[in-house]
Amino acid sequence: MNTFAKIKLVARYKKVVYYTVQIEGDAASLFEDFLLKHTPNNKEKLNHIMKWMKKIGDEKGARKSYFRNEAETADTTALPPKGTNREPAYIEDGENSANDLRLYCYRVNEHVVFLFNGDIKTTTRAQDCRQVQPHFRLANKLTKCIAEKLNDEIRWNKDGTDIDFDEELDLIF
Amino acid sequence: MDKKQNMIDNWLSEHGNSEINQFIDKNLDIVDKVHAVLKERNLSKADFAKLLGKKPSEVSRWLTGMHNLTLKSIVKMEIALDIDLIYTAPEVKYQYVNMGIIEGKKEEQKYGQYELSDVVEQIPLAV
Repeated sequence: MNTFAKIKLVARYKKVVYYTVQIEGDAASLFEDFLLKHTPNNKEKLNHIMKWMKKIGDEKGARKSYFRNEAETADTTALPPKGTNREPAYIEDGENSANDLRLYCYRVNEHVVFLFNGDIKTTTRAQDCRQVQPHFRLANKLTKCIAEKLNDEIRWNKDGTDIDFDEELDLIF
Repeated sequence: MDKKQNMIDNWLSEHGNSEINQFIDKNLDIVDKVHAVLKERNLSKADFAKLLGKKPSEVSRWLTGMHNLTLKSIVKMEIALDIDLIYTAPEVKYQYVNMGIIEGKKEEQKYGQYELSDVVEQIPLAV
């Protein structure tokens, strides 16, 4: 059975525009669900990710190195980023702690990023974690669907810094 | 877009912790500066690790932008690359700038009730 979703704007910064998607029948978008779920219990980990997105949005651009690769069937990424052979850290009471919160994304280019949903990752591989696996798989499906519509129903502006699309456009996956 | 509609800014203004926000700001700036110097000098992370006498995995950890770098690690990187990562200028509230002398015109002197002054006034400007 096909699922339908619509694209929704999250935030527009000087260097990056963030979008999310809202699945038909859901009360909120995937990114809003992520915020609602993790604000009460994982506020500090979430704060690192939110500030990171603002910082790269305002000043840096969505460079590949600012994201971690989470591709399975499509070019999906996630936040926070990762160093070689290590888990990303965040600071809790002045100490480095592992930031196991994952926000799955599709980094289309340095200027456009789609934010999906995520959760606390409890295993090394996303495929093995009961909490993040559904978000990881959905993000890969959506990434593929969005990538297929680029340059067709989703058009680039003149300088490739934003996309344009019909508000009624359905993502079908 | 209206700032009110910006979900990220809205969240940060309601829930953001200024310590975390400033940490990300400064850390990412420091790490980006190191990355830029490595690129400019054609140095890999492995080369940089050798310069620092550290394991490449440790250096990678330092350079993620989310690691809590100690002042000691920052100084090690500054020495290895011979750069300043943290510039600590003395804090100055005002800096005096000489704005020069504004001379009156001869015609003005002719009709005015004043004489030209050669006093140079120094005006404090907040910088």
